[in-house]
Amino acid sequence: MIRLKEINKTYFGAQPLHVLKGIDLQVNEGEMVSIMGASGSGKSTLLNILGILDNYDSGDYYLNGKLVKDLSENEAADMRNRTIGFIFQSFNLIPFKTAMENVALPLYYQNVSRKKRNELAMEYLERFGLKEWADHYPNELSGGQKQRVSMARALVTQPKVILADEPTGALDSKTSAEVMQILREVNQSGITMVIVTHEKGIALRTNKIIHLKDGVIENIEINNPDSIDFSKEIK
Amino acid sequence: MDFWREIFMALGRNKLRTFLTGFAISWGIFILIVLLAAGNGIMNGIGEQFSDQSTNTYMIYGGETSKPYKGHGTNRSIMFNDKDIRFLETEVKEVDQVSPRIYQSGFANFGDKSGSIFVQGVRPVFKDINNTKILEGRFISELDEKSSEKFIVIDDNLRKKLFDDGVPALGQFVIVSGIAYKVIGICESEGRSDGGNGYVPFSTLKKITRQSRYWMLNFTVNGLETKEQNEAFTEYLRTQLGRLHEFDPDDHSAIWVHSTQEEYLQTMKIFRTFELFIWIIGFAMLISGIVGVSNIMRITVKERTNEIGIRKALGAKSRSILASIVTESLLITSIFGYIGMWLGMVVAEVAGSFLGDAQLGGEVSLHIVPSIDIRIVLMATALLIVCGVLAGFFPARNAVKIKPIEAMNYR
Repeated sequence: MIRLKEINKTYFGAQPLHVLKGIDLQVNEGEMVSIMGASGSGKSTLLNILGILDNYDSGDYYLNGKLVKDLSENEAADMRNRTIGFIFQSFNLIPFKTAMENVALPLYYQNVSRKKRNELAMEYLERFGLKEWADHYPNELSGGQKQRVSMARALVTQPKVILADEPTGALDSKTSAEVMQILREVNQSGITMVIVTHEKGIALRTNKIIHLKDGVIENIEINNPDSIDFSKEIK
Repeated sequence: MDFWREIFMALGRNKLRTFLTGFAISWGIFILIVLLAAGNGIMNGIGEQFSDQSTNTYMIYGGETSKPYKGHGTNRSIMFNDKDIRFLETEVKEVDQVSPRIYQSGFANFGDKSGSIFVQGVRPVFKDINNTKILEGRFISELDEKSSEKFIVIDDNLRKKLFDDGVPALGQFVIVSGIAYKVIGICESEGRSDGGNGYVPFSTLKKITRQSRYWMLNFTVNGLETKEQNEAFTEYLRTQLGRLHEFDPDDHSAIWVHSTQEEYLQTMKIFRTFELFIWIIGFAMLISGIVGVSNIMRITVKERTNEIGIRKALGAKSRSILASIVTESLLITSIFGYIGMWLGMVVAEVAGSFLGDAQLGGEVSLHIVPSIDIRIVLMATALLIVCGVLAGFFPARNAVKIKPIEAMNYR
């Protein structure tokens, strides 16, 4: 599903910063992986490249069998819209849109009819237990509810890959556990999932933990979440 | 359409932002229009003060000589005749049209009603020279003058004295010193005197009163644009008429030359200065309006950088984001611009009807009628709208250019 070959990325500022130093990575379809690393390890940059939110300097990135390189802005937008679902730490909901409108927004950019958009949005909200909150604005929702709205938004286009950037970073441990449970269920429905986190407890719920350090992959840890007792606190 | 639904929703959900942006635009245009209208009002007032005298007229009237000249003694009275008129009309290139003035005082009668009248025999051009305002009917025509018609134009004072309310005056015959004149026009009364004025064709009154010497000549001139030109022209008149009437050109009491042009030029100078002043203020207002509108548009777009980032991450194309932002700002600026323009014009109109005559102390009154040149209003409004949209467009274009991740993390 995702294949990275020799990816390099340098930020050119006052002091050029070589953030990613030749990353090779393969994520298969239906896998649930996490990327772990200290701040400055390049994990957010990697996620941005995976999400086509940022470009890379050299190497090759294949997403769903297609080379993601030198894409025009429109091609990138289309690919983001149809292939990838994003979940952000700060939710990134549009404040003046209701929960339902936020969920329906990606479909607007697919030119799906309004009626169909709202139907699908309601379906996904219902799946996440937010049917009653459909007409509420983000500032009327709790953190967990907001993250569930953003998950519904990420899934409404039926993407191939979900990219989650610290999805539990702004949530308490109980809510974090709930969110992770949902993400696991989503993954089990066949959607590839990449989660960036610095929390061990989160990473332990994925099948593969990629440790990133100073722009290189330190090691890849194969993990079996089913063998871990999560009844204990995860943080 | 879906696109418009999105736009209106975004505007409606961000009521405060929409209102503040709109208010800035409305206010800018409103102030601009009210100011322009006030400036124009004062200009109109000044203009009206000086339009009582047509702008380019000369009036010369005979006096008495005070210096002996060519064997003539002093205290000889000078009056004008047909030769002078012909001379002015044919020999002096600056002179456009001449109207001599002769007069007769008496009483005008209609039925059993009568009123004192001061009848003047004039030519059609006198209407423009004197700035006579016709209320009903018409003034004397060239044809009337040529065929010496017994037609009369009376002023409103006299009409009220001779005719009851509701009785039409036009077409009636009034008797002045034994001669019946047909009323062909009613003009506005001049001054506040009780006496009535009447105007008849010059040729008619000349025949009736058998006058061949005229005390006063009015004429319009062309091409005298400066004070120097006017002074030279006055000297020229004295020399030429002195030659015809044998008086010393330096004898300033022989004839009196009065030119409204000199006053006019002076007024025009004040007028132009004031006009320039108004334009400068208007221009400054427009600039500050543009700055204000542009600023708020710029801030509005900056504020939306996060939203732009989110939309891009969700797969929005730059073009579609840009299109909706520009449409939104165009919509706001146009609607609120229109409101501001409309309010400004209403206020200008209302102020016009209330202000009327502004007393400038004592007898001097200035008739201030705020008025607006609709073309200038439309141009100013359009300029503000265009600048507002452009001011929104460029930061929006920059915002959609930056990477979604940076836009989302903005601030």
